[in-house]
Amino acid sequence: MNANALIAVMVILPIASALFLNLLHKKDRTIKILAIITAIVIPIIPLLTPYGSHFFGGYVPLAQNATLAQGLPSLITGTQLFQFHPGIMYVFTSAQQLMVFVLGLITFFAIFTFLNETKRPSGVYAFLMFMGTASVSAILLSDDIFNIFVFFEIAALAQVGIIVASGIKNNYETALKYTLLGNIAGPLLLLGIVILLGVTGNVNVTDMVFTFKQGYVDPNSPVILMSMALIAFGWLYASGLPPFHTIKSAVYSKALPHGAALLQAFSVFTLVAIGIIILRLFSYNPFTNIAIIGISVIAMILGITMAIVQTDYKRILGYLAVGELGYIGIGLGLGTAFGITAGLFQAVNEAIITSFLFIGFGTVLYKTRTSNTRKLGGMMYVNPKVALLVLLAGLAMAGVPPLNAFQSKLMLIQAAIQSGLPELGIIMILLSIVTFMTFMKAFYTIYMRPKPKELEILDNKIPRSTVISMVALLIICVILGLFPQIATNSLQTLAAGLV
Amino acid sequence: MVVDSQLMSFFTAGSLVVIGIFAALFLDNLIKKIIGLAFLADGVNLFIITMGYKPGGIVYIFLPDMVVSNFAQTASYPLPFALVLTNIVIGASTLAVILGLVIILNKRHGSLSASKILRDKGE
Repeated sequence: MNANALIAVMVILPIASALFLNLLHKKDRTIKILAIITAIVIPIIPLLTPYGSHFFGGYVPLAQNATLAQGLPSLITGTQLFQFHPGIMYVFTSAQQLMVFVLGLITFFAIFTFLNETKRPSGVYAFLMFMGTASVSAILLSDDIFNIFVFFEIAALAQVGIIVASGIKNNYETALKYTLLGNIAGPLLLLGIVILLGVTGNVNVTDMVFTFKQGYVDPNSPVILMSMALIAFGWLYASGLPPFHTIKSAVYSKALPHGAALLQAFSVFTLVAIGIIILRLFSYNPFTNIAIIGISVIAMILGITMAIVQTDYKRILGYLAVGELGYIGIGLGLGTAFGITAGLFQAVNEAIITSFLFIGFGTVLYKTRTSNTRKLGGMMYVNPKVALLVLLAGLAMAGVPPLNAFQSKLMLIQAAIQSGLPELGIIMILLSIVTFMTFMKAFYTIYMRPKPKELEILDNKIPRSTVISMVALLIICVILGLFPQIATNSLQTLAAGLV
Repeated sequence: MVVDSQLMSFFTAGSLVVIGIFAALFLDNLIKKIIGLAFLADGVNLFIITMGYKPGGIVYIFLPDMVVSNFAQTASYPLPFALVLTNIVIGASTLAVILGLVIILNKRHGSLSASKILRDKGE
């Protein structure tokens, strides 16, 4: 087998496993075994796969296929048609390796927690989780913008399924809202893509960029700007940036904690993947970077300030997660190699930390069946070890050293100053402080204040797997905090290529 | 007066998109919203088909007796049509999911009013 075929396996394996799991009913043991094996293999594949490209169906550009190119007329060989990519292409570099690995790791922890917290695991639920992971992996890997659209839609459906499967009150209403908005954002994203297709004759991003660079198409033409606006609309929806921050935080709050951990990872990596494509295609226009920074600052301010007034800790986390997305957006919007590296590093960190927090706070739901902070209290005495882990996760999110988000936020502030925008640095510092305050307020209410008399704490013991997952995520946070170069070295090449 | 069929088709596609967005955002009845979403998806599909239209073009199937250069110059561009086929499948799937959700919510709330069903209860 061609080693580059492993690039496709990163997407095909979770899909195949998901489809098989979907067929299993009341076969708990088989579901558990298959799901856990798939969850273990998913993060391993990117580590074994060599960097390179995979051409689906073997459709390499004609310039690379001497046999097929023989005898073709000059209409093809003498023009750019000879260079173009005729089929779907996946690109795998060190940056994709890191992001697909982290996504796989979060999937593993989510599945691991789900299987151990649920007496009779549902094959359909595991199907949805793996389909989501496969879709977001494809979005990260694909160089074909229409292929990205297809997986964007599949990811949206998988997310709706995860909400519906949660059984939480009013989950159907939230799922419907999210789907309705998705059915506006999806076609508009496609419209943006087909406008680009009409103008450049391609759906391959590398070919489109080539067309712009060669001057065949004016990247500042109104048609291209229209296309940018439509693609950006789809991007905002998929990532949960304003005006979709409210629905995104509602989506997190209506999913089970392990589901929410995975959903936020989907949002983070979709933001990064489509954000990179927007930068590749539209960064010729200086307005692009300003728009990304603007929307990111709004996301930070809205997300973090709205988190303060929430009384449901899942909503608090949802809004904080949206606020943290703003940091990633600022990194991308700065447009410098260092800024983009910082943004991508922040994305990796945020995906890990927010999963950690969702799984950690999930233990409260497991013990009390409520996520309303007004009804909670005294959880510190129920399980002090878990409380300490949750506290450390919150400190990581706020950017306290030596944890990982400290490094990425420091890099972001440095990048903002280097780009001549120290105001952004000040905003990021202030909002980190507000994040810390918001988290501490929630932590105090749930864990430290006296337990309300009416609060009933169930006898069920928190599964050891949940605590193991949290410890493992903490170790990753500490390692990336102490040795950030592990991640930044992988991300630098991609960032440099975008400038 | 000869009307350019491609231009008219673009105009129709644009109209469908605008009507669809309006219905999806501003109509209260969920079924009407869904019809609006179908309009939107169909508008985009029509836009893609219209874009792939080539006046005087031939179907993009290469037959043994064809000359390569002649085929390359006269055949329509197949990619838009492949995109439309895929999008029809995606549209049908998402529409099925929405309709499923609406059926359940209609049973629970006894209404198809979006303002009644989708009110944020702060849960």
